[in-house]
Amino acid sequence: MPDFPDLHPHGRPSIDVAVPPPGREAALRARLQASSVAIVGCGGLGSNIAAMLLRSGVRTLTLIDSDVVDASNLNRQLFFRDQIGRPKTEALAETLLRIDPEARLTLHTCRMTAENLVDLVRGADVIVEAVDRADTKAMIVNTCMTTFPETPLVTASGLAGYGSANAIVTERPCENLYLVGDLTSDVTAGHPLFASRVMVAAAHEAHAAVRRLLGFDEP
Amino acid sequence: MKVDIALFAYLADHQPDGLGGRHARTFDLPEGTTIADMIATLGLPDQPRVVFVNNRHAAEDSVLHDGDRLAIFPPVAGG
Repeated sequence: MPDFPDLHPHGRPSIDVAVPPPGREAALRARLQASSVAIVGCGGLGSNIAAMLLRSGVRTLTLIDSDVVDASNLNRQLFFRDQIGRPKTEALAETLLRIDPEARLTLHTCRMTAENLVDLVRGADVIVEAVDRADTKAMIVNTCMTTFPETPLVTASGLAGYGSANAIVTERPCENLYLVGDLTSDVTAGHPLFASRVMVAAAHEAHAAVRRLLGFDEP
Repeated sequence: MKVDIALFAYLADHQPDGLGGRHARTFDLPEGTTIADMIATLGLPDQPRVVFVNNRHAAEDSVLHDGDRLAIFPPVAGG
């Protein structure tokens, strides 16, 4: 990506913990502030990803979800009891605007299909898959990687159950795809969803997006 | 033609050597073999999946070519 040469020109590998030099942090923040991310699904993953991206400085977010807040969501999703019954997109937007009143949010409160998804995510710098069903995940990955092969896509698979949080990793199986999770623990196989492990995956997804927006290709 | 095939997560059990694991195995296939042909040959279950050839997403009716690297990944539910 332009403007940001390698922070570690002397060959440091992908784990970069260095404090940026003076002026660099402002430039990094400016880059995030100029970026947009489309988040497909505003449940356990998407609602938390949205807040983390906003807090990291990504202020332009597209939120896509057709559901309303249910009491059963409150164990892991960034909603509140007084929001039950409201569309998740609207309830989440309200919370995000309490964090940053200048956030630029585009809400799509509609059921997504392979047909309408393309228009819903078009123009985003990074697309984040954050839905729950396996078939919807596959549809989103297949549709986005076919239609927008140059747009980085972050997806998650395998975050249910009480397995080690350390089993959740970010991989890059191909150039513009970031794959988060342990790849195996399936909620439909009876593994419950714990807020702690869902949020580990959400944080991986959010951070993969942040890193890519900053020009770091490796997870 | 030679094609490398990697199967992720639970699909790895469908590698013909029965050893599991996500590393690629090399297959010697007739010209014109499609991804869908290989999915049938390997007996992969009819579950959601994502297919890559040479690190790019590929449609299942695509024809494979000598030297291709095919990877198939099955998302699981939860979010």
